[in-house]
Amino acid sequence: MIVVGGLKFGAIYSLAALGIVVIYKATRIVNFAHGAFVLAGAYATYGIVEGLNIGYWPAYVLVPIAAGLLAAAVEFGILRPIRQADMFALITSTIFIGIGLSEVYRLVQNTEMLGVRNPLPGPPIFIGDVIITKEQIWVLVGAIISALIGVAIFGYAPIGRGLRAMAANARGAALCGYSNDGMNAMAWFLGGALAGLAGIFAAPSKGISPELAISMITAGFVAAVIGGIDSLRGALFGGLILGVAETFAAAYVSSAMKNAVSFLLLFVVLLWRSEGLFPEAKIRDV
Amino acid sequence: MIKEHIAHRRTVLKAGAALAATGIFGLRSGPSLAQAVPGVTDSEVLIGALGQLTGPFAFIGAPGRDNMQMAVEKLNDAGGINGRKLRLLFEHASTPAESVAAAKKLVENDKVFVLVIASGSTGAAAAADYVRSAQIPTYNTVGATPIIREPFSRNVFHGTIPPASVTGQAMIDIGFQAVPSASKIGVLAGTYAFPQSHLAEIKSRLEKRGGVEVVIEQFDAAASDFTAQLVSFARRRVQLVLILGSFTEAGFAIKQAPEKGLTDVHYVLDGSAVNNAIISIIGAENTKNVWGYFNAPYFPTQDDPPIASYRRELVQKYGTLPQGRPNIYDLIGYGSTYILAQVLKKTGRDLTWPRLIEAWETLHDAKPSDMGGYDVIFPETVTATDHQGNKKVASARIINGSWKVVGLAS
Repeated sequence: MIVVGGLKFGAIYSLAALGIVVIYKATRIVNFAHGAFVLAGAYATYGIVEGLNIGYWPAYVLVPIAAGLLAAAVEFGILRPIRQADMFALITSTIFIGIGLSEVYRLVQNTEMLGVRNPLPGPPIFIGDVIITKEQIWVLVGAIISALIGVAIFGYAPIGRGLRAMAANARGAALCGYSNDGMNAMAWFLGGALAGLAGIFAAPSKGISPELAISMITAGFVAAVIGGIDSLRGALFGGLILGVAETFAAAYVSSAMKNAVSFLLLFVVLLWRSEGLFPEAKIRDV
Repeated sequence: MIKEHIAHRRTVLKAGAALAATGIFGLRSGPSLAQAVPGVTDSEVLIGALGQLTGPFAFIGAPGRDNMQMAVEKLNDAGGINGRKLRLLFEHASTPAESVAAAKKLVENDKVFVLVIASGSTGAAAAADYVRSAQIPTYNTVGATPIIREPFSRNVFHGTIPPASVTGQAMIDIGFQAVPSASKIGVLAGTYAFPQSHLAEIKSRLEKRGGVEVVIEQFDAAASDFTAQLVSFARRRVQLVLILGSFTEAGFAIKQAPEKGLTDVHYVLDGSAVNNAIISIIGAENTKNVWGYFNAPYFPTQDDPPIASYRRELVQKYGTLPQGRPNIYDLIGYGSTYILAQVLKKTGRDLTWPRLIEAWETLHDAKPSDMGGYDVIFPETVTATDHQGNKKVASARIINGSWKVVGLAS
């Protein structure tokens, strides 16, 4: 049961980490505003499911598009003009964009926590002594499928080819006819869409509050680094490993250890295998 | 002749100067006499209040502010109190340090006439020593902690929320109503002031009762993961869980319970968790085993006339409210302001702190409707030796997707 519970949160972390990795692979920017995009996705889910009362299915289509457009707008309006600045300035900008978006949420929403109904209500499923809720199955299967779609788009779709080309050599990609501006915007759109999907799955389990942005960027970043910051496969497995580790720590030590164990895992991986557990680039000692 | 003219002119000038000086002092003496009493002028009484307007407990302070303001405006529209209008000054205070700072600012800088603590037990506990030393008439409307109640101080009065001893016993009574044969009870308590004051009472009362095994687990404020605590309860096979925390904390605990192996368990929630927003978190299908106590005669979404009329007025003023509102703190903010207005009226035109306190101690069965409001809180009665206005607690359950008061728990 603890493993299933851990995999559920791990799947959400995987989605969040995937969005961070997609943007990093294409633009070399670590997007610390990613948590705010997850929050925007969660809030949009609330608006569709609770506000408009039209169920979850429209949310699966509309929320990723909306979150993707938000991310692309942030890239176009704020980051593109300063793209030539040094990396420190760019990363710092994303931190403050994330804080700004979270505070906008706090100002707009005159309450600190919103709840969203369970997408799959009903009694839990008993398999021997193990109890699995339908929501756990939904989050686990749905988040992993979404992550795999994201990996497939980046890895095999024509747009993915352009993103990989730009990541490998921006000038070369431009010479081959790819638009750097267009590819940047597309990378941010894809990353934002993945964040939006993470928000849909996180909303019923974690509630919607400014703290969701902080918890998701922390978990997503740690999962991405554990798996390998340039590896989509690594982001997927890194999130699952992190989710299970946190849940075991909470169950057998204390809830306070949950956050501590994620950073402990990060330090161990960085010290032992700094490229991550599942890097895409092959490292050779020469 | 010229000398006479000059003498006459000097006399007139002196007389005029004397008259002007009298007029100036006369103008000064009017307000300065009234302003010898802080927060009171010929036309106005200044009420200070503090509570959380942002942060995880904004569901306490923000409704308090909104409803106090609405009640003040209604009372002023009806002519004010004894010829004076009321003015509300509400300060944000979330942490204990902020609560003390807000109280000091209101009393020493803004010079309010009466202080309302609308921030719950954390703020009340933090400001307790200060308000006792400042001797300002203080109305603790939502703090259940014993720290604001003991030692007894003549300037401190308590409103809708009874002490933790009363509500703790109510939770135990409701729990045994839900599971009469419960022999293993879990208590899930937040580590902050309000749940801790409840926990101390519940623990001692259950120990005194005997025959039950009590499993206590705690969590930090605004926690959303209860894996450790729920696994502990599941291992010990508790039948009943008393949750001492906010609606988000209780909601996520109940939601996560089946995933951690805790099924067929009844839950009793404290008053701050009895909020319709919890239903979205736990799911409408998981509400049949959820009970709670409530500190008002009606739940905010019931259709009984006083509460329905109040709700119309609230929506008319503020439009569509956030999820989970109106809640108990909306009702308390509104009702308490009318009770305070009644105390001010009883005191009369000559407002001073000792006279206000004396009038307050003669309050009997005071209701908001006595001043033109809606009876959304229990009536309050205060004596010289007992400053707890309300001691009633109602029992509540979720029926057809919404909380409803189903009777009195004590």
